[in-house]
Amino acid sequence: MSSWLDYTINGLIVGNVYALVAVGLALIFGVSRLINFAQGSIYLVGAYIGWVAVVQLHTPLPLTIIVVAVAAAIVGLIIERFGLRPLQNSVRIAPLLATIGISFVLDQLVMLTFSPNPRALPSQLPDVRFQVGGGTIGPLDLLIAGVGLTSALLLFVFLRYSKLGWAVRATAQDRDAAMQMGVDVNHVNQAVFGIAAALGGVSGLLVGMYYNQIDTAMSLQATLKGVVAEVVGGAGNVPGAVIGSLLLGLVESYGVAVFGTSYRNLFAFLLLVIVLVLRPNGLFASARQAPPEPLTGTFIAPSRPVRIPRWALLVTAGVFAILPFFPVSFYVLQTLINAWLLGMLALSLTLVAGTVGQVSLGHAALLAIGAYTSALLSLTLSVPVGLAIIAGGLMSAALGTLLISPSFRLRGHYVSIATLAIGEIVSLVILNWESVTRGPIGISGIPPLSLFGYDLVSPTSIYWFSFVVLVVLALLQGRLLGSHLGRSFRAIRDDDIAARAYGLGLNRYKSLAFIFGGFAAGVSGGIAAHLYSYINHETFNTQQSILALTVVILGGLGNVVGAIVGAVALVGLPEVFRIAAEYRILIYGIVLLLLVRFRPQGLLGTI
Amino acid sequence: MTTGASEPLLALSNVNTFYGQAQVHFDLSITVGRGHIVCLLGGNASGKSTTMKIILGLVKPRSGDVTFDGASLLGLTTPQIVRRGIASVPEARRLFADMSVRENILMGAFVRNDRDAVAQDLDKMLTLFPKLGQRLSQRAGSLSGGEQQMVAMARALMSRPRMIVMDEPTMGLSPLYVDRVLELIRTINQEGVSVFMVEQNASLALEIAHEAYVLQTGKIVLSGPARALRDDPRIRDAYLGGSEAA
Repeated sequence: MSSWLDYTINGLIVGNVYALVAVGLALIFGVSRLINFAQGSIYLVGAYIGWVAVVQLHTPLPLTIIVVAVAAAIVGLIIERFGLRPLQNSVRIAPLLATIGISFVLDQLVMLTFSPNPRALPSQLPDVRFQVGGGTIGPLDLLIAGVGLTSALLLFVFLRYSKLGWAVRATAQDRDAAMQMGVDVNHVNQAVFGIAAALGGVSGLLVGMYYNQIDTAMSLQATLKGVVAEVVGGAGNVPGAVIGSLLLGLVESYGVAVFGTSYRNLFAFLLLVIVLVLRPNGLFASARQAPPEPLTGTFIAPSRPVRIPRWALLVTAGVFAILPFFPVSFYVLQTLINAWLLGMLALSLTLVAGTVGQVSLGHAALLAIGAYTSALLSLTLSVPVGLAIIAGGLMSAALGTLLISPSFRLRGHYVSIATLAIGEIVSLVILNWESVTRGPIGISGIPPLSLFGYDLVSPTSIYWFSFVVLVVLALLQGRLLGSHLGRSFRAIRDDDIAARAYGLGLNRYKSLAFIFGGFAAGVSGGIAAHLYSYINHETFNTQQSILALTVVILGGLGNVVGAIVGAVALVGLPEVFRIAAEYRILIYGIVLLLLVRFRPQGLLGTI
Repeated sequence: MTTGASEPLLALSNVNTFYGQAQVHFDLSITVGRGHIVCLLGGNASGKSTTMKIILGLVKPRSGDVTFDGASLLGLTTPQIVRRGIASVPEARRLFADMSVRENILMGAFVRNDRDAVAQDLDKMLTLFPKLGQRLSQRAGSLSGGEQQMVAMARALMSRPRMIVMDEPTMGLSPLYVDRVLELIRTINQEGVSVFMVEQNASLALEIAHEAYVLQTGKIVLSGPARALRDDPRIRDAYLGGSEAA
């Protein structure tokens, strides 16, 4: 049993590591009002460059740190120059999505280069520990604390006394006014991305050494923790990010001490949600600072949707309906079943993100709620599968809306962060609530799909079943969008202040959208559970949330037909081209980047 | 409209500007003579502020040309235009609220590299704006509107500009400060800096200006020496937007 002092030391050390990530995020947010979701990927790259340096090149520690910092900074500069600068005059959602795409690409490149297996990253420091009071401290702890303090000091001097540092601060406070003083904002962006990447890379190296292990899952975790720390400290607030990080480290460390390791992340995300709800500008925001989030209307690319004649839709639907009568392989049907399931999730997300403008990054949680509800009802209470799936949809609608409701008062980027956190919380609750969800073991032996007592086990019957459900949901959503309610949804997206001025209760309409969307996603999750017969807390993960978002953007935000077309394209094309599974995520990342750059309104246009 | 024999310092010629489908400027032509104060009058949504943004390169016109000292500004970015010698006092001051007054004023000298001369200029600003002396280490955001206007003007002067463009320098100020600001604009001008200012308050602006233009829904409807315009009955009609043309 370690002492409290040990937990405190551990919390502060981990907090220091988070600070290196969070400070970079804060700098970038300050200058360009962008949450850089690729920050964790740079951290990952830093860890692996460190591994190459230490294990293969046998560099001494100081040189390792310098190599990692410089290499990571170069990666940061490349991201800024080629990933983000071309989007400067684009809609506000574009850079956010671009950083998500970049993080997919970087993570996959690292995974393909180094394999997904964890690797040991030795710290090169003597393994001794000194007694301090009731706890112990080792040389690596001191190194991390030293790097953290030195970086903070250097950053302070840079921002306070250098000309470029002044330009960074001026740009953060008023971009246009800074330009009118002669500040080249591109230089400022470069500087900020370079610094953020160097700090992030070194952070990855230190974490790898601290746990003596690195793997590709580190990336998303680092981004999430950095974002939590940054938002807790107040987005764009550099000293706030440091304090937020230390606080996060301590909360996690004490949480682990009391409840156990699997609760670590749960505390991080609960802290985030609490701060977002109570003090959305962070703990240290002064009254002046309401971060200038754009009205959601400018967040999403406006466009004229592509009109598809009704007969063409009918013919296409008819062809897919009678497809199983033709000699097509099971493999094709299987692929299309996956597309229909993803299509249901995309319908849900396109309503919430596209029509109402709440860009959710945690939509997989709705799948999970539906899947667990349906699986448990049919397995433990012997509820007929058909009813169980509907119950799953209803549970997703109710619970999903309830969970998301604290974030209704947020806008733009903050909605995305909150939904991301809520998605993680759902997955962590599933992991830890063992008496109901069976925890990490997952649920196996889920009964197969059946309807009115008939088992649906042949691919043909499953194909028809999921296709009919998808078409019904799509028709309902189409009706919804054409109605007065649909117009109200779009009014909220385009200008929530004006919508409110015309008497629209925002919470009520956002709830309605999440109820409808939650049902569609829950049904999709329920069907999937009975199809897979085994699910666990990782079946429906953030990667799926992002995949759904890519589908929705591919089709055109808010576009019902687009969501289905996007799902078929993203599931189907890799199959057609026989792209190996390990390259798929890479392809999705590249697709997302290309879309954001060249067709932000999607294939069929936003509605 | 050129004054005397010398060519104008700044010239906008036949500028047409659009925001998406909507046309903001229709064949706009304005010249600012060397050493002159020129003001652009007009009501809301007449295209005044967009004119400022065109000069500073924040908005690009669809056709026409903008020249400064004979060279076109059209291909240049805002920082490059600032380096050519145009400083700005933006609408509503736009100070860097969390930086100190000293830092704000020195930000004006961002394009300069002569540290000693910059320090001297800072002292000069404190004689020109004596009130700022006690406020130097205060957060700029904590100053009153009038004091902020002083900081914004000092900040603009720190780049040693040949021309200053000002967007409604008297907006939101108390009558006392309005007079101070006009006085200062005159002082700045007497030291050889040309001034182009956008104003809603016609009678005040015409007191200090050499020439004036009246802009109405994107078109120049009236222009000439300020002295002549001051007595022109049409100025009130045009300025108040009485007769809506096109």
